[in-house]
Amino acid sequence: MLDRKKDRDTTPEAEPNAQLMIGKRSTKTWIYISLILFALLVFLPLLWLLFSSLKSQADLTMNTWGPPKVWVWSNYIKAWKGSKIDRYMLNSIYVTALTIIITIVTCTPFSFVLARFQFRFKRLLYFVAIAGMMIPIHSAVIPLYMMVGNLGQYNNLSMLALIYAAFRIPVSIFILEGFMSGIPRELEECAFIDGCSTRKLFMKIIVPLSRDGIVTISVLAVLACWNELLVAMLILSKPECKTLPIGLMGFITEYNSEYTQLAAGIMIAIIPSILFYIFAQEKIEKGMIAGSLKG
Amino acid sequence: MRITKNNRGTVILFILPGLLLYAYLVLYPIAQSAVLSLFKWDTLASKRFVGFDNYVSVFSSSLFWKSLNNSLVFMVATTVLQVIIGFFLGYLVYLQLKGFRLFKTMFFIPAVLPSVAVGFIWSYIYSPSMGLLKPLMTALGLKAYYIPPLSDPTLALLAIIIAQTWNSCGIQVILFNSGFMNMPAEVIESATLDGASGLKMIWHMIIPLSWDIIKMVIILQLIGALRAFDLVYVMTGGGPNHATELLPMHLFVNAFQNFNLGYGNVIAMVIFIMALLITITMRKLMERDSLY
Repeated sequence: MLDRKKDRDTTPEAEPNAQLMIGKRSTKTWIYISLILFALLVFLPLLWLLFSSLKSQADLTMNTWGPPKVWVWSNYIKAWKGSKIDRYMLNSIYVTALTIIITIVTCTPFSFVLARFQFRFKRLLYFVAIAGMMIPIHSAVIPLYMMVGNLGQYNNLSMLALIYAAFRIPVSIFILEGFMSGIPRELEECAFIDGCSTRKLFMKIIVPLSRDGIVTISVLAVLACWNELLVAMLILSKPECKTLPIGLMGFITEYNSEYTQLAAGIMIAIIPSILFYIFAQEKIEKGMIAGSLKG
Repeated sequence: MRITKNNRGTVILFILPGLLLYAYLVLYPIAQSAVLSLFKWDTLASKRFVGFDNYVSVFSSSLFWKSLNNSLVFMVATTVLQVIIGFFLGYLVYLQLKGFRLFKTMFFIPAVLPSVAVGFIWSYIYSPSMGLLKPLMTALGLKAYYIPPLSDPTLALLAIIIAQTWNSCGIQVILFNSGFMNMPAEVIESATLDGASGLKMIWHMIIPLSWDIIKMVIILQLIGALRAFDLVYVMTGGGPNHATELLPMHLFVNAFQNFNLGYGNVIAMVIFIMALLITITMRKLMERDSLY
């Protein structure tokens, strides 16, 4: 008993004692079976896609399930060359990166003011900013479409990034404000005593300390922008400007019956997403939790 | 900190860019949508004020009610499925048996894939020529029952529900898992010492303790399902015979294919108000002090 007390003092997270919580030993087997079953359900469609992308057309027709008899890598080369996937990916990267930059530049100072200053309309301002989280982009899409047309900004990737960034503002402010509120005030008081201006305080102290929050909102922005379809579809029509999701759709209609090449193209398109996820997994988890806690 | 003459300029500088961008591209369009729902476009260039005519045409259109119905079915089905599966798997992952990290990773991967890819994968799984569904059913001796789901009005929506669940379930797993990790350790430990385990543990301890997270997941999922557009667009375009036309798809068809922008704005308003209503109602409904 004494040992367990020591453990409890040093471990901050709740580490469940699985055996005690499950009960019968046999349940453990069932648990593993369930986990593996669901993991297979998740994984099999992707595996099927992978296999299909490496088969020849004939192989696919005769052998839908199993691994490819011969690994046809040329599908990938044909898919890469035949479509403009590299162009689409670059466009997506550009839009996503620009969105992140705009989001950070607009939201970090804003959250700082909300977190640290007191003024008459602060609560109202905060509420207005956060309320945007409930506005589905679909409800604003028609006026946005018309607005972009009136400004003559169709096919302008930067315009798309501006729109994306605008819709990221509520969540980002919500998260950042939370982060910044947690920064101890003593640091600022020291800075003031040393004669630091507000601007310097912000740049030299708050921003570095909010790095985690900034990373979080960036990761969430990537997830939101990279796969976005509707707005991109409405605003971008020129082939050179398309982002990955739209390009992918066009690719599918173009190569309609060449399933193996389609599969290869799709594999190429999803690899960045999977890589991003593997590298940023922890941040993504933290970000999702932070973004979902609507107070 | 108070705003003084000295730092007032800085404060305004800090707020202005974000506020302007947000107001111009988010708040203004929503307001515009409300206003424009009262107009009708005879041609693309001219519009005239028609009051609530558009609302009348929307609410008397059977297609609208069909898509509303589809959306409701879709929302409830995906929420129920994802919450149950997410809770279940989140709990199993939370138990931190060996290899739980790998499982967590795997469950989440579909959620980062572009919807076009997900739509493609599932369209082909369901397809009669190249898919997995037909061979699977044949193997189970059910060959006679196979209908291509996406061409069948009754099955199509179910097919999309399954694809959507596959796509987004991982998010629920992660959310629930984190929620469970935030439960106070001492309470759980004392419960195990008192002999609670298995289902009793779940029913009496886990569910009440994580009620906040459950509430949140349900609301988020409902609202997310309300906006579901991508998969429908990619897999069926709303068909067959409007069987899978959800509200956002209905909006898209009317506004951008039929160029009935006033009508489309009404639907936009409907979606918006529904989102608000759901948030407010569900919060009130599910108010229950968690056992803290």
